[in-house]
Amino acid sequence: MVRVSRVLLRDGVGISKTLSEILVCPLSKQPLRVCEESNSLIRDAIGVAYPVSPYIVDGIPCLVPSDGKIIEADDKPKPDDNSMRKDP
Amino acid sequence: MASLHLSFCQLAGNRPPSHRSRCLPVRCADDRQALFNRIAPVYDNVRPISLHLNDLLSLGQHRVWKRMAVSWSGAKVGDNVLDLCCGSGDLAFVMSEKVGPAGKVTGLDFSNEQLLIASSRQHSRPKACYKNIKWVEGDALNLPFSDSYFDAITIGYGLRNVVDKQKAMKEMYRVLQPGSKVSVLDFNKSTNPFTASFQEWMIDTVVVPAATGFGLAKEYRYLNSSIQEFLTGKELEKLALETGFSNARYFEVGGGLMGNLVAT
Repeated sequence: MVRVSRVLLRDGVGISKTLSEILVCPLSKQPLRVCEESNSLIRDAIGVAYPVSPYIVDGIPCLVPSDGKIIEADDKPKPDDNSMRKDP
Repeated sequence: MASLHLSFCQLAGNRPPSHRSRCLPVRCADDRQALFNRIAPVYDNVRPISLHLNDLLSLGQHRVWKRMAVSWSGAKVGDNVLDLCCGSGDLAFVMSEKVGPAGKVTGLDFSNEQLLIASSRQHSRPKACYKNIKWVEGDALNLPFSDSYFDAITIGYGLRNVVDKQKAMKEMYRVLQPGSKVSVLDFNKSTNPFTASFQEWMIDTVVVPAATGFGLAKEYRYLNSSIQEFLTGKELEKLALETGFSNARYFEVGGGLMGNLVAT
């Protein structure tokens, strides 16, 4: 079995900038937003978040459509997307 | 490889190809994903006796076929390339050496276990150019990349395993730069009855027993029915042209046991 060295494990590991520039939503093919807090890639327009595996230094993003999670309706407003901001 | 072919030919006999039709096909995408997750630990892993299962099964020839597949993809220094159904990363590592530190390699697979092994292999190897590889868990039928993004694509032993080959080809066509190539390496579904019989015999007599030694007989037994459900070289060329590629050529390698489609 493969043993992943503990040296390589780190909590709250993010996704590299290079990867976030490469990847788009597998369904809409539109750009994704990196959310460091939830360690995921988010497609705001359709309310879906794709997780990033934390198990290695440079996280492996999971962009399988069926693994995308619907974001809760009462999520915080997104700072870079005015159309998604809720009324106070 | 030719001399090996001849020595086995004497023993192969003339088993009817219809024998393959009695094998149960692996249809569901979830089944296939589970299968590849199960074989991940031994697929290309370094064993205590330094023997990879694929090396054993192909007598080391799989490394040659993979280098040929990368050559045929036209990947060159500085390119941005994709290895689809990358598994534990064999082709991605060869692509990485080809494009060098100035290039970028993305390896995509739907098995998280295989990707973790690929990542582990990447970090355990000293070559600096391997830093240019990024791993992504994804679906070959819904690629998370923009149109016309890659300079070359390889897919090794992957197209045969996707549930919708037309859709996979369409996605590869979409994410490929116009004029660039996709190189598809896989088992050859031969139209020559003797080659087909020999291949089936090799799988039943060599591959499955060897896999049994790794506790994976059930997982490798699917190979014969999988090859029967696959497309011949001519059918693969036709599929590529129907997808929109302007040129498609199929090359038989490994004595006819393997084949490589090159489409642009």
